[in-house]
Amino acid sequence: MVNLTIDGKSVTAEEGTYILQVAQANNIDIPTLCYHPALEPFGACRLCTVEITSRGRKRLVTSCNYPVEEGLEVSTNSEAVIKGRRMILELLLARCPNVPLIQELAKSYGIKKPRFKLEDDNCILCGLCARICEERMGVSAISFSGRGLERKIDTPFHIHSEICQGCGACAFVCPTGAIKLEDITDKKPRPIFSEFNVGLSPRSAIYVPFPQAVPKVPVIDREACIHFLTGNCRTCENFCQAGAINYDQEDEIIEADVDAIILASGFDLYDPSVLEEYGYGKIKNVITAMQYERMISASGPTEGQLQRPSDGKTPKKLAFIQCVGSRDTHYKLYCSSVCCMHATKEAILANEHYPDLKAFIFYTDMRAVGKRFQEYVARAEQEYKVTYIRSRPSKITENPDNGNPIVWYEETTARTRTSMEVDMVVLCQAMIPSGSIKDISDMLHLSLNDYQFVNIPDRLFHPVDTEIPGIFACGFCQAPQDIPDSVVQASAAAARAAEFLSRKD
Amino acid sequence: MPRINSPAELEELRKDILSKRDPNKPCITLCSGTACHASGSDEVAASIGEEIKKQGLSGKVDFRKTGCHGFCERGPIVVIHPEGICYLQIEPKDVPEIISQTIKGKKVIERLLYTDPNTNEKIIHESDIPFYKNQERLVFGSNGEIDPASIDDYLALGGYSALTKALSQMTPEQVLEEVKKSNLRGRGGGGFPAGRKWEECRNASDEIKYVIVNADEGDPGAYMDRSLLEGNPHSVLEGLIIGAYAIGSHEGYIYVRQEYPLAVGNVDIAIQQAQGYGLLGKDILGSGFDFTVKVHRGAGAFVSGESSALMTALEGKVGEPRPKYIHTAIKGVWDRPSNLNNVETWATVPLIINKGADWFRGIGTEGSKGTKIFSLVGKVNNTGLVEVPMGMTLREIIFNIGGGIRDGKKFKAVQTGGPSGGVIPEKYIDLPIDFDELTRAGSMMGSGGMIVMDEDTCMVDTARYFLNFLADESCGKCIPCREGIKQMLDILTDITEGRGEKGDIELLEEVAAMVKDFSLCALGTTAPNPVLSTLKYFRDEYVAHIEQKRCPAYVCKELVSYYIDPKKCQACMICLRQCPVGAISGGKNQIHVIDQAKCTKCNTCFEVCPPRFSAVRRLSGEPVPPPVKDRVLVRRKG
Amino acid sequence: MTTEEISRIDKIIDKYEGEEGILIQLLLDIQQELNWIPKEVAERISQRLNIPQSQIYRVASFYTAMSLTPRGRHLVSVCMGTACHIRGSPRLLDRITDVLKIQPGETSPDRRFTLNTVNCLGCCALGPVMVVDGKYHGKLAPAEAEEVLKNYD
Repeated sequence: MVNLTIDGKSVTAEEGTYILQVAQANNIDIPTLCYHPALEPFGACRLCTVEITSRGRKRLVTSCNYPVEEGLEVSTNSEAVIKGRRMILELLLARCPNVPLIQELAKSYGIKKPRFKLEDDNCILCGLCARICEERMGVSAISFSGRGLERKIDTPFHIHSEICQGCGACAFVCPTGAIKLEDITDKKPRPIFSEFNVGLSPRSAIYVPFPQAVPKVPVIDREACIHFLTGNCRTCENFCQAGAINYDQEDEIIEADVDAIILASGFDLYDPSVLEEYGYGKIKNVITAMQYERMISASGPTEGQLQRPSDGKTPKKLAFIQCVGSRDTHYKLYCSSVCCMHATKEAILANEHYPDLKAFIFYTDMRAVGKRFQEYVARAEQEYKVTYIRSRPSKITENPDNGNPIVWYEETTARTRTSMEVDMVVLCQAMIPSGSIKDISDMLHLSLNDYQFVNIPDRLFHPVDTEIPGIFACGFCQAPQDIPDSVVQASAAAARAAEFLSRKD
Repeated sequence: MPRINSPAELEELRKDILSKRDPNKPCITLCSGTACHASGSDEVAASIGEEIKKQGLSGKVDFRKTGCHGFCERGPIVVIHPEGICYLQIEPKDVPEIISQTIKGKKVIERLLYTDPNTNEKIIHESDIPFYKNQERLVFGSNGEIDPASIDDYLALGGYSALTKALSQMTPEQVLEEVKKSNLRGRGGGGFPAGRKWEECRNASDEIKYVIVNADEGDPGAYMDRSLLEGNPHSVLEGLIIGAYAIGSHEGYIYVRQEYPLAVGNVDIAIQQAQGYGLLGKDILGSGFDFTVKVHRGAGAFVSGESSALMTALEGKVGEPRPKYIHTAIKGVWDRPSNLNNVETWATVPLIINKGADWFRGIGTEGSKGTKIFSLVGKVNNTGLVEVPMGMTLREIIFNIGGGIRDGKKFKAVQTGGPSGGVIPEKYIDLPIDFDELTRAGSMMGSGGMIVMDEDTCMVDTARYFLNFLADESCGKCIPCREGIKQMLDILTDITEGRGEKGDIELLEEVAAMVKDFSLCALGTTAPNPVLSTLKYFRDEYVAHIEQKRCPAYVCKELVSYYIDPKKCQACMICLRQCPVGAISGGKNQIHVIDQAKCTKCNTCFEVCPPRFSAVRRLSGEPVPPPVKDRVLVRRKG
Repeated sequence: MTTEEISRIDKIIDKYEGEEGILIQLLLDIQQELNWIPKEVAERISQRLNIPQSQIYRVASFYTAMSLTPRGRHLVSVCMGTACHIRGSPRLLDRITDVLKIQPGETSPDRRFTLNTVNCLGCCALGPVMVVDGKYHGKLAPAEAEEVLKNYD
């Protein structure tokens, strides 16, 4: 360990680290353009230059690659440093006058208009793209070419690269947006879609599944992570200050001897694309209720703005189709129990966000059975411009001119067949017991009922007991139910299990 | 070739070679360096070969093609031994006479001798010619006596005796101490004490170390290293092996620019021959020391001559400079300790080992010991390569050796240090050649380029020229150099083309200050030197260009107009006929007039107008007078 | 590339196989052999020596001794070194660009000439100098350049 001072502040650091790293670790800010923690220092932008006093001599050195030594005195903002940085930025602004990042940086040093002739480039030749491609991805699809003022980033012979893996790392690290993937490769990058946002937004290969995840730590998707696919990258490792990333981590199989089991495997959403007549997956502006929920959520991918998929416009007319896949002899016979209420809630939210928005809920029966649920539905009709239409639409088509979905239905009360053009359709899809239910029930020797839910022999007196003593099931895995009901059943199962265990003793 | 296994065997071989050479046998040496080659020495050589046969002298006369003699202005140079008669500017048609008159007839051909421009005296011996007399050609002198393709020639002169001494009588530490004591400073431009660099490399802990010869001589106007490498490659090899021994390295590289094919070729031959004798390879001279060396060609990039860039190029990558906060002596090629020195530095080592550090310290100044080879070029009479002791003044070099300014013009400045250096004006012409003195004056020693400028040289154009060179050669990696040089060049181009504005000089100085301190490598940090030094001593020229749109030296084309003085023109039609764009109108008795719209300022008319008329005038900073109405010529009498 | 050309290239690559740091030397030899570095050659080198094409391209585009487009039959080099500069090489270059109708770095459309500038050939005594196919023409006045170039087809 060595002792040094930066801007008068005494700090210690491991021998061999660079001044910049030490400064950053001590929250001292030094501007950089070509520096990246996961790449070898490049020393090209010279912006990180600092003034050091070493062995009695004052020198200007770049902090990104100058190793610290005992007794070093560093000044990150001496007059000489500021003057030089200012000139560097003025020159850079002359080269790239229309790049926002450079404009801001220059402005922060008091430069608005360079005293030089202006070019119109947007590449600052920081090399981050080529360096990450070579050092981290091991691909070297792009590199510098030429020298001096002819220097630029290019693919070999200026033709589309065959070895580019389409990872997009170059575009990601580019500080100015100068790198365009389509200039490098014919391959179209395939984004990884966030499961939590039901495909509405992309995610990276290392990600926190959702803000309420337990545990709330990032996880690596091995099927998308470049390191697991090619053996390279490992960039994330360089950013984690806790050193918590472990690529060798494997699933742990834990064997435990237990006396009771509570099954709470939950539900999955039924994929409505099998109902081809509704056009999900084909008509852009037909979405699922879960997608709608993510959209309307303030912490979702659109920050609570309703933006219909085809053109981002805010819908004025919204249609909700109930019983998509539920109460259907072709798909699921049972009622999923929560959709009528969540549709009502969603329609109310829509109108709260957009007072001019009108929602139409196409229902079979309104299952508003809980406490004050009926009043909620009435309020929707009276206060929130929600119209309930008793009908199960037969199909949805698309208006080719504007992407508007058209809902075709029969007004069962008036016995007329008609259609309604709306801006967006929300399909309230069926809910099914989670996909793992078959394996778990086999494993536990539990039987499933006709609807593939866990069998509860005596619903009336033992609502959470399965066929096997000591194994209890609660929540959706045993019957469609909403949150309050699931919570009650969970408490019940816990109580039953406790009772069971105490009896065993 | 028999392998030499011990110092004793080497002496045996040397004696044997000498015994076979009769010092009294006539020998014709012909300078065959690239410059003389360009002057036709190949044809002269062929002619000599033929004539010797034709005149029945085969076997009776030796013919040796040697390296560069240095007096490039007067090449091809032939020296007849043993008399030492020196003939200059030889053409094939002179050869028959030389063979019959001088070789056979032992008579001197006066018209081929050097004529002293002051006394008109004819000088016979090379060493008496003032160009040579005032030099001290310790390193370069052997060039004239050896055929670079013959290791035996080198051995005959005592070559590889220093290596023998080092390997058999000294320990590596002793060799290192001797070089340190000598205070030999790098001859490539940096002037860093070689001994200290060697020591740092020696002390670095790694089994594998490299020694490197930097023969990427990129300074325009400097070609000392080329001539040394072409003409006496063994001197460099010997120094390299000695250095490797001192440092503890067993692998060396010689990095030669590919623009020097003769040097590459001669070094290859030298290495092969040295290997043949066992002076390279395993167990050299039975000492147990192994050393091999590879030649690596450059590919046309000035920046790759920078030491860290050169090392990167040796790794097969693009030769761009790297940060040097960790010295290359500790982490160099392939991150191993590497010691890089210039060609001339290596060639000086055998002398130091043979004659001792004290002898070396006896030459030169307090801070700069020994001799230095300079390429004295430009507006001097005697263009060529000169070797002088440190401490000799610029005046002595330019006037006593260089013969003063050609065409009777006036000295204006001397530029040293190439694109990293600066100009030294007349008031400092008595400055002694010394690393620190030159740096103090705002220039630097550099690799040895010494460009003499006269009144016809424009200092602003000179600064622009150097910046243009650097803009071409910049690797472009760091912002200060790439963008800073570009903008400085832009401003200077504007100034030389008549678009200079008030404030330009101040902006130039501001950019220069940043480039000097913030660039990644020495190309960038020294790039402002030509600008800053010309501003320091010739600021008035800049001001004239900007404020009066005037180029005092009549160089900057856009600021110069050509005008035929109607009072002096004698309508001889010479300029009219020679004008490449037909811009001159006139006739036999009609005063010539230059059409300003067509004139390309090529200077031809100015050069060809007979001196007795001197009718063509160059104007700058003033409008061209309109053509006279009456153009009928009134001839002058007499 | 024809199979004959490929085998010529392969022979040159053979010389350097197994060695480190040889890319520049290899490319110089290829340039000497073919007068330029074609894309197919870069591919072959990349295949055989496991060097990424981007590195080959980077080196070939950095150095002036290597050319990524075919060079002309005759290489005309004009020295722009300092000594030649003050002896008037810019004017000589101007004349030559007028005569050849190409700028330094370019090749004439009929592939007759490639013009380039070099920074010091080291024959400063002969300045200004123009070299054509290795033959030096020294102390050349701009007016004489056209005459010299006429002789090259």
